[in-house]
Amino acid sequence: MHVNIFPISGFVQDSYNMFEMDGEMEKKKKKKIKKKEKLEGMKKEMDIVSNDSYNELEMRYNTSVTKGMTSTFAQQILERDGPNELKPPKGTPEYVKFARQLAGGLQCLMWVAAVICFIAFGIELSRGNLTCFDDLYLAITLIAVVVVTGCFGYYQEFKSTNIIASFKNLVPQQAVVIRDGKKNQINAYQLVVGDLVEIKGGDRVPADIRIITSQACKVDNSSLTGESEPQTRSPECTHENPLETRNIAFFSTTCLEGTAATGMIINTGDRTIIGRIASLASGVGNEKTPIAIEIEHFVDIIAGLAIFFGFTFFVVAMFIGYAFLEATIFFMAIVVAYVPEGLLATVTVCLSLTAKRLARKNCVVKNLEAVETLGSTSVICSDKTGTLTQNRMTVAHLWFDNHIHAADTTEDQSGQSFDQSSETWRSLARVATLCNRATFRPDQEGIPIPRRLVVGDASETALLKFTELTVGNIMDYRNRFKKVVEVPFNSTNKFQLSVHELEDPLDLRYLLVMKGAPERILERCSTILIKGQELPLDEQWSEAFQTAYMDLGGLGERVLGFCHIYLNEKEFPRGYRFDPDEMNFTTSGLCFAGLISMIDPPRATVPDAVMKCRTAGIRVVMVTGDHPITARAIAANVGIITEGSETVEDIAERKRIPVEQVNKRDARACVISGGQLKDMSSDELDDALRNHPEMVFARTSPQQKLIIVESCQGSIVAVTGDGVNDSPALKKADIGIAMGIAGSDAAKNAADMILLDDNFASIVTGVEQGRLIFDNLKKSIAYTLTKNIPELTPYLIYITVSVPLPLGCITILFIELATDIYPSVSLAYEKAESDIMHLKPRNPRRDRLVNEALAVYSYFQIGAIQSFAGFTDYFTAMAQEGWFPLLCIGLRSQWEDVHLQDLQDSYGQEWVNIKMCDWLGTGFLLPPCLFVCRNRVLVSAIVFQLLLGNLLCYCPGMPNIFNFMPIRVQWWFVPVPYGILIFVYDEIRKLGVRRYPGSKLKFITSLTIFFLSITLSTVHPVSSH
Amino acid sequence: MILQRPKKRVSYLNTAIGFPEFGRGGWVTGLILLFYVVFYIFLAGLFALTMYVMLQTLDEHKPTWQDRLSTPGMVIRPKADETFEIVYNIQNTESWDMYTQTLDKFLAPYNDSTQAQKNDECTPDQYFLQEDSGDVKNNPKRSCQFNRTMLEECSGIHDRYYGYQTGKPCIIIKLNRVIGLLPGKDGQTPYVTCAAKKEDSDKIGELMYFPPNGTFNLMYYPYYGKKAQVNYSQPLVAVKFLNITVNQDVNIECRINANNIVTGSERDKFAGRVSFKLRINTI
Repeated sequence: MHVNIFPISGFVQDSYNMFEMDGEMEKKKKKKIKKKEKLEGMKKEMDIVSNDSYNELEMRYNTSVTKGMTSTFAQQILERDGPNELKPPKGTPEYVKFARQLAGGLQCLMWVAAVICFIAFGIELSRGNLTCFDDLYLAITLIAVVVVTGCFGYYQEFKSTNIIASFKNLVPQQAVVIRDGKKNQINAYQLVVGDLVEIKGGDRVPADIRIITSQACKVDNSSLTGESEPQTRSPECTHENPLETRNIAFFSTTCLEGTAATGMIINTGDRTIIGRIASLASGVGNEKTPIAIEIEHFVDIIAGLAIFFGFTFFVVAMFIGYAFLEATIFFMAIVVAYVPEGLLATVTVCLSLTAKRLARKNCVVKNLEAVETLGSTSVICSDKTGTLTQNRMTVAHLWFDNHIHAADTTEDQSGQSFDQSSETWRSLARVATLCNRATFRPDQEGIPIPRRLVVGDASETALLKFTELTVGNIMDYRNRFKKVVEVPFNSTNKFQLSVHELEDPLDLRYLLVMKGAPERILERCSTILIKGQELPLDEQWSEAFQTAYMDLGGLGERVLGFCHIYLNEKEFPRGYRFDPDEMNFTTSGLCFAGLISMIDPPRATVPDAVMKCRTAGIRVVMVTGDHPITARAIAANVGIITEGSETVEDIAERKRIPVEQVNKRDARACVISGGQLKDMSSDELDDALRNHPEMVFARTSPQQKLIIVESCQGSIVAVTGDGVNDSPALKKADIGIAMGIAGSDAAKNAADMILLDDNFASIVTGVEQGRLIFDNLKKSIAYTLTKNIPELTPYLIYITVSVPLPLGCITILFIELATDIYPSVSLAYEKAESDIMHLKPRNPRRDRLVNEALAVYSYFQIGAIQSFAGFTDYFTAMAQEGWFPLLCIGLRSQWEDVHLQDLQDSYGQEWVNIKMCDWLGTGFLLPPCLFVCRNRVLVSAIVFQLLLGNLLCYCPGMPNIFNFMPIRVQWWFVPVPYGILIFVYDEIRKLGVRRYPGSKLKFITSLTIFFLSITLSTVHPVSSH
Repeated sequence: MILQRPKKRVSYLNTAIGFPEFGRGGWVTGLILLFYVVFYIFLAGLFALTMYVMLQTLDEHKPTWQDRLSTPGMVIRPKADETFEIVYNIQNTESWDMYTQTLDKFLAPYNDSTQAQKNDECTPDQYFLQEDSGDVKNNPKRSCQFNRTMLEECSGIHDRYYGYQTGKPCIIIKLNRVIGLLPGKDGQTPYVTCAAKKEDSDKIGELMYFPPNGTFNLMYYPYYGKKAQVNYSQPLVAVKFLNITVNQDVNIECRINANNIVTGSERDKFAGRVSFKLRINTI
């Protein structure tokens, strides 16, 4: 299969430029300009990379290609260059993180309030008035609140970062190094430039190395380039570009096969290609998460309103004739009453609850706020390999007896198998089994076959597992057919063959089995096996073969042909010397057994998940490094391209018209390869993304991935990926999702979320949870906002009408931070509205967390009802104790006069000045409880709230500490009619929303009429009375 | 496969009635305003209704709850503005003149003539109960006389200056009115005692109480409220400091002694007791 490296090299060149390294382009430019020796030196450095002689290498690094360098010198270099490991991206220092928790918008307001309190206390103190410690207490409480919530937020963040730290590979990588002429095994981080290292199949390449000697060495560059095809590595320099030449193996790629290749290290640590890409990723700016934007938006509104209210009433108070200090304290009190102190803690708790829930479903969230991002996502750019597919070649189809049979491709072998009774199948299976060099690693008896580790390339592995599953006990089977000779696959022959003795010791014939590219195999065949019969291979069979080959190829599958022949006993008697190089035996006129095609099959859960995304209004775009045909086949398989959708090319073919004449809008699907993408302007790409709802990008380079992500942005984009090459795109995306199993550390570092099971279906869970948390946060904030009004109005009434203060600041803080946290959090447990996954994703510009409607609803409707409820309770309590409502008005100054100890109430009783400021405050605890509740957690939350409220009210000793006084049990029931009103009103509103979904107008009209009729029907009997 | 078209996102919270947005028709804005007007009228109506119902349940004569008044407060007269201090200089008439004037004003309703005119003479040492008989209210209720002359030397009749001029000032103490309060159990009469705070105990000198022993006679209780008992005269106790140390602060605390009144906790400094500072300057 041919390998398209071109776009990849382009990307790396850019990265080179970015780091002022000498890339190919630079080099050309410099040649033109003809600069001085210094530049020549740099150019030389590049040359060394690929085509320096060993002598020059030895000179440069002061080493030897046979003995390696001396230990002492290596030590010096290690000190100079630092250890050979990727530096983790620079994190924010811990104290900055903590300080950030203390300096949010709301926190700043609280600091200001605390400072005002201190100043007020200071002024009181300087006046010699030592009786009033309330301001001091309040200041301390406020600071405590800020610090405690800050600590809490910091702890949550710290915890989620820690999860990631635990992922880091704790076992240090080992490498075999030759120093002082001796082989040693040392930790890979101690390697330095110039070291001579040895790698063999299964090892990770410990640094960027120049191959000195090698034997059939192949590396998997997929984590670097996304290309899953193994690539040969040999000492020859084949290309000027370091990325394309064969004599360089890159850091963190895996050596798949080959025995003991040696190489010299030319780059270590962050200077390796991988290191540069990783640092490129950290250079891409981190976008703010949508929920952070929402919360900021909300905090801005709240802070603005708090200051506005505070200032307005400051001015009002000054006008009424309060002293400046008093007015300032009013300002502070209004800010305290208005700011929802508990909100940030609530949000953090809600998010971390969801994060926990997600972790249980295999999604680990690195950044708490990312929990919600998935819910807002409207485009998912998904990698193919490993995410949508199982990331292992599996036999998908077989063609024998002129019939295509489907094999079971499910992960757990739960699918249907094909008819295995045919004689042809037995022959085909024998060829597939024998003509195969792959072997299972030892000691894997307990592991299910599909998951066993295999030494060998992808297609041989697939065949091995397939035959193990269908035939059984392959190792034993191979032993029965003793291998005499084999010719491995090479790119000129495009086939592989081996010659075996037969199982039956009496049968002295040799069996030649061959597999390879189907057309090459067919060329060598003269007969074909049909139902166990050898028939001559005529035109008709040839055509049948072609059709099958095309069909399977069209499915994006890799097709192999299989044939065999029994060698003539006389011509090739026992002991015949088969020569693999000369091929002194029959290699034509063989008998064709069949075709086997392989594919990396989609995961079982993926089609359903893609379907769910689609119903949820999320586009799934496939971005892969694989071939367009394969990509398209998988896309069609998992439903990214739906049945019946056509690409422009399909339509052109169907209508038999040139591609240019097809209206692009008719084609729902579109497959764009990296080559095409290179020639497209960004406008064209945007156009394509707009016109075709079903997009597949194939053969894309990491940089192109970044471009695609950028084009999608504007809406919220999720990107999945596993390789180092994906990390820039992961970082760029609104939410990067890395794979937990296959993912590289660089990808995990750049991502916001990690799928522990590498399964696309987990993303759907994430989306659902994200949407749920957004809705629930909305409810939680509605609850908080609602509560703000009955907390604020007492102060406003206190200032303007001068009634005794119904609700003090400390009490407010208690309500906010003690009794109300649990109910707010419990709203995070609200179940999803059943159609949550049938709705479009929210529009980040339109569907805000806190919008006008929500604020108006909470403030002017429910908040108003609750305020009235609170005041009803307050006036009732006052009246029942002897203070009639009209007497209360204007009572403030006398009420608060410490020296007036015989204040008369409405009955003529005389009262000493007891610190009554808070004794009615708890009456305001109840109204928030009346907020409509549905689920059980919320009920328990309200019970909790009542219990805690009662504890605060009735616990002996509480009055001395916090000025709380027990309130009479009867007063708890005063606001009940309002509670019923809220309940009824909310139900009516919901009913209205359901009944008049489109028309706000009818809805408002009917509501108005409803209230009007109630008002009138009550007024009527009263007035006629 | 036929695609399910995503529905428009309808969340109940989203579709609450919004504020009038600009650009909508004027009559829509009007309608929304109308809604709010009606809504708030409705709420105000509900509030008024609940207030009305609540006020209906109240008794005219007796508050529903009196749990915060179990220990009545005590107050002194004369009272300077904003402080609990009585500080004056004998030499300087103006410094004590205001105290005597306050007392004059305070005691005016207790003049014997006024009392005789408005109130009854009651049987001393027993509660003056005037219970209602069932639904028939026994209103208006009569009150007992508390004559100014009962304060004798502190009545201001013989000594217009209540002893302030001579450095033997009178302080008048009253117990806050509480409806239905019956101080003293088993016929024991509540009385007031005054004492200096610890460090000043040797400075206070001799005290004289009027009426004798500083008692509040039981006949003044119970109190039936200002509506039923319009002319109620609160009993008083006067304390005369006979030889208090001059030119020094003396902190004094007076408390009520009754076997059914618990005098105040640390927190309520005025429940059943009263503290003040007295300083008489001679120079």
